Amino acid sequence: MAGNEIHVPDLGDFTDVLIIDVLVKVGDRVEVESPLITLETDKATMDVPSPRAGLIAAMHVAKGDRVSTGSLLATLEDEGAAATAPAAGGAAPATAAPTIAKPPAPAQPTTDAAPPEQDAAKVKSEESPGAATPSPARGPQPSPAAPIDEAAFAAAHASPSVRAFARELGVDLGKVRGSGRKGRVTGDDVKAFVKAILSAGAPSPAAAAALPRVPVVDFAKFGPVEVVPLTRIQRISGPRLHASWVNVPHVTQFEEADITELEDARRSLKLRAANEGIALTSLAFVLRACVLALQKYPRLGCSLDAGGQNLVMKKYCHIGFAADTPDGLVVPVIRDADRKDVFELARSLGELSAKARTGKLSAAEMQGGCFTVSNLGGIGGTAFTPIINAPEVAVLGVSRAAQKPVYRDDAFVPRLMLPLSLSYDHRVVDGADGARFVAFLAEALGDVPLLMATLT
Amino acid sequence: MASRSGTGDSSVSSAAGSGNERTTQLLVLGAGPGGYTAAFRAADLGLAVTLVDRGAALGGVCLNVGCIPSKTLLHAARVIEEAREMSAHGIVFDPPRIDLAELRNWKDKVVAKLTGGLAMLARQRKVEVVRGTATFVDPHVVEVATDNGSERIRFEQCIVAAGSSPVALPFLPEDPRVIDSTGALELRKTDGRLLVIGGGIIGLEMACVYEALGARVSVVELTGQLIPGCDPDLVAPLAKRLRGRYEQVLLGTKVTSVSAENDGLHVAFEDGKGSSTQVFDQVLVAVGRTPNGKLLDCEKAGITVDERGFIVSDKQMRTNVAHVFAIGDVAGAPMLAHKASHEGKVAAEVAAGLKRHFDARVVPSVAYTDPEVAWVGLTEGAAKAQGIAFEKAAFPWAASGRALSVGREEGFTKLLFDPETRRVLGGAVVGVNAGELIAEIGLAVEMGADAADIGLTIHAHPTLSESIGMAAEAFEGTLTDLYLPRKKRAT
Repeated sequence: MAGNEIHVPDLGDFTDVLIIDVLVKVGDRVEVESPLITLETDKATMDVPSPRAGLIAAMHVAKGDRVSTGSLLATLEDEGAAATAPAAGGAAPATAAPTIAKPPAPAQPTTDAAPPEQDAAKVKSEESPGAATPSPARGPQPSPAAPIDEAAFAAAHASPSVRAFARELGVDLGKVRGSGRKGRVTGDDVKAFVKAILSAGAPSPAAAAALPRVPVVDFAKFGPVEVVPLTRIQRISGPRLHASWVNVPHVTQFEEADITELEDARRSLKLRAANEGIALTSLAFVLRACVLALQKYPRLGCSLDAGGQNLVMKKYCHIGFAADTPDGLVVPVIRDADRKDVFELARSLGELSAKARTGKLSAAEMQGGCFTVSNLGGIGGTAFTPIINAPEVAVLGVSRAAQKPVYRDDAFVPRLMLPLSLSYDHRVVDGADGARFVAFLAEALGDVPLLMATLT
Repeated sequence: MASRSGTGDSSVSSAAGSGNERTTQLLVLGAGPGGYTAAFRAADLGLAVTLVDRGAALGGVCLNVGCIPSKTLLHAARVIEEAREMSAHGIVFDPPRIDLAELRNWKDKVVAKLTGGLAMLARQRKVEVVRGTATFVDPHVVEVATDNGSERIRFEQCIVAAGSSPVALPFLPEDPRVIDSTGALELRKTDGRLLVIGGGIIGLEMACVYEALGARVSVVELTGQLIPGCDPDLVAPLAKRLRGRYEQVLLGTKVTSVSAENDGLHVAFEDGKGSSTQVFDQVLVAVGRTPNGKLLDCEKAGITVDERGFIVSDKQMRTNVAHVFAIGDVAGAPMLAHKASHEGKVAAEVAAGLKRHFDARVVPSVAYTDPEVAWVGLTEGAAKAQGIAFEKAAFPWAASGRALSVGREEGFTKLLFDPETRRVLGGAVVGVNAGELIAEIGLAVEMGADAADIGLTIHAHPTLSESIGMAAEAFEGTLTDLYLPRKKRAT
């Protein structure tokens, strides 16, 4: 039986991922790679394909459940068994199917059958997560994702009621310091532990209170209005951008790169690339230049560790690029960009952009970046100040290239100039390094042989 | 017998579906202490619950053919025994005249009152009760074979509380003189020679009843100790008493065959020294219980059942199939009603969306023999096997005024402590009412009480419960009711 179980594949760092659609039901026949369920991972949706062909004997999840890597999704009736059983019994294959062909309702326990008042309670708790009323009839959920040290939990000096309270809040009781007599953990200790975690994780109430508030305005007083919800991606990316904005001291350094020769080279190579199905964009060359710059100045690709006391230097070079989609901004990551030449970078750009537009990026394809490039050159603008994709420490903004008079050899000559904006985390990168980095970038973008050189 | 929890045997149904199908939010399979507790708790939390059981009355093995009827008969045995004991102290009764029919009737009335009460509780909660034997059809449907054919029940979630069945020995003949615990409760014949196969809790409890009612009892046990798994010092007072009253207590002895003849049951024994044969009027088989996990067609729902028949469940009582829970005997040892009902509550609450876990530290075990043997938490055997450091303190009942005044001084109370934190890790009581006394030790373990907490709690005098406070004082070195060596005295 175990061999026929289908589990959630590796989701990278994501846990408790929402199932937004179940595409098959018990009795369905699936082929290899048939989509089974759709997950909504961070910033993208993703279909989980069947690793094997067979008849769905059981679905263990329902729309609305949350799953993590390894969660059991479905059980397949073995194709082999289904095929051989009738043969052994002398019955036609058709008789094997009907015994399970009557599909039971897809497993949607309690979500649609919850009594009305419980639905109300659920909605209420969604509106105000802080007022966490226990919402009953939530239906089967796998055990909480946050791993609890069960041995330490059991050994904690806490009475049964305090243990139950800790379970209610998902608290790892072994980590709670008891304030009671002889170190006994009290209910108040559990509450204090949760408060400490909350204030350490999310912006603390104190910090939030310290920020002046934007005034709340009743816009309808001034004319008709329509309320449009933020897209899912915007709801996710917004807090992250805000966190970077308030936590990271940004400096933005501007530079212009002379890409006259580069553009000539790109135009001459374009057709050859197109024949191979590659759209050779100038962004590919910018990425190649970034790889070279990061190799020279690896500090721009590192991160601060959680304590803020150490740099984490990465022995890999994955570069993200901001991609515009109808639902908002996503950042696919090109893995091992340092092992790709300009053509391969262009190919990766094309593939990941297409996936981004159709919302098919996997979680893994949006993780692990060292550095991000945000290219608005196709749209316009002379310069902008990009926000760092923390915990990365630098981001390169690329604006629209323009012909400009450049004073060279005692005369103004027209050159195609590409505006660059490098925002960096001033805690990690000082001004001189930032300037050196963009200067090197500009130089590299002017040096076509360097960019086109065979990878070593 | 001890507090068995399950619903007993169920048989596999292969009847084709008749097209009837009802739906429910929560299906509970088995109405033993685990199942009915789960069903009632879930109903109280707002779920629509259907409870399926094969028995005519709710309550499972425990209420119908387990804990409750056996305790009723043990009480009768106790009264007979106490009357007999008083003859040594100047109160002499004539031998009792035993009306088995009336005794059986009383036992049945007790059972009927309790099971009737359960039926009422189910009605009050609008729990739908279906009588029949359920098997899984797929992960959301069971088929129930009932007296009127079969019907299907479609469920959103399910709690499997299908219990356990007595283990049968393959070589036993089909003969009315060979009985199991259920048969023993029918009291068909209580005189003559009775052989009890199995020196565990169930066997010894029934032996106790039959001995009081006039049978000449022999007990045969395969291992070298009565109540295998229990600390040997706890069993010693019981073994000593039984050796004085029973014809034989055969340890380390195997029954190799039983043949039914006109003059009785010929039983062949084999021990380290050789083999022998004896003739008995009745044989009671109590060699353990086996979980009913394999009788439910669990594979059709994708539920994992281990090779012994247990359905594996996690700390929230969920099986590998997230909307199916398993509790009680079918979910694992110890097979005890109070473990099942606690698990039943956890499963019901999780099914209703609450964040609950099975976080109990300890589950008490009680043998309602005479004397009773009860233990909870860490045992010396387990501590040694797992390398857990402990110190022990005991209070012998020979120093207890109350124990002496009831004429039973063979008992003792023992506590095991963590040498560092001085918290109580477990304990045991041997003697009359040990099953009642063990509760305090269980509470102390759950609360993380240390020796001083227990010793400084004033226990009423004269009671048997005092012995627990005194055992703690013995550990603390503050006990005055015994003379302790100087090094153990506290200043």
